[in-house]
Amino acid sequence: MPRAARYFAVSGALLLLAALGMRALPGMPGLAVDLLAALATGLLLVGLFKALGGEGCDDATPALRRRYLREFLPPMLGYVVAVFLSVWLLHRVEVPVLRALIALLPVPAIALAMRAIIRRVRDADELQRRIELEAISIASACVSLGYLSAGFLQLAKVIDVAASDAMIWVFPLTGLIFGLAKAVLGRRYR
Amino acid sequence: MDSRVRELREAQGWSQGELAERLAVSRQTVNAIETGKYDPSLPLAFRIARLFVQPIEAIFQPADH
Repeated sequence: MPRAARYFAVSGALLLLAALGMRALPGMPGLAVDLLAALATGLLLVGLFKALGGEGCDDATPALRRRYLREFLPPMLGYVVAVFLSVWLLHRVEVPVLRALIALLPVPAIALAMRAIIRRVRDADELQRRIELEAISIASACVSLGYLSAGFLQLAKVIDVAASDAMIWVFPLTGLIFGLAKAVLGRRYR
Repeated sequence: MDSRVRELREAQGWSQGELAERLAVSRQTVNAIETGKYDPSLPLAFRIARLFVQPIEAIFQPADH
């Protein structure tokens, strides 16, 4: 198993254990635990994709990979902290404007993580860029198609999904399909 | 596209990683070019040609040529 895959798998497993431990604690906000569990699952899946795709999945130059991890990991850590802080504060603040600001606390961290991803794609070599762009195209198409279909089903009152759940899942779903597509596409060039 | 990149690289005694470093691309890209799974862009083909001091058409040929 590639070293990067091990790192992602181990950190995902540790976060998942932490989330399970927190769920057992009384008074712990369910949303915070769920978001942590989702992040842990994401890390585990990235580890799985890297293990499946091997080198062909993600073969950026070492300097680019180092810069990417330096730019990506701190915002993700900040995101986890911001989610907990946001959930904790939302239980204590009633003023609508303040609640809006507090609810959006995790967004800058995710924006920074997205910036790291974009910079990585832009500075990757031409083959890696082709793989990444094809993967993000597939992910965008799948998520758009899924949401459009779900929208029609919701209009027809066949399903009833809460808007907040649907909106929260756009980014994780895109990331999940992107990772899967990248692993499959990367194998084509091995 | 058929290429002589592997032959030229081996003649220099370079590994795929060394060639990748000289071309500022990943080892995966060098491997994909050598195995014919990926056709390089024109700028990269020029860099390869310049590195091996050969005209592009002496390194890359259409597959049905």
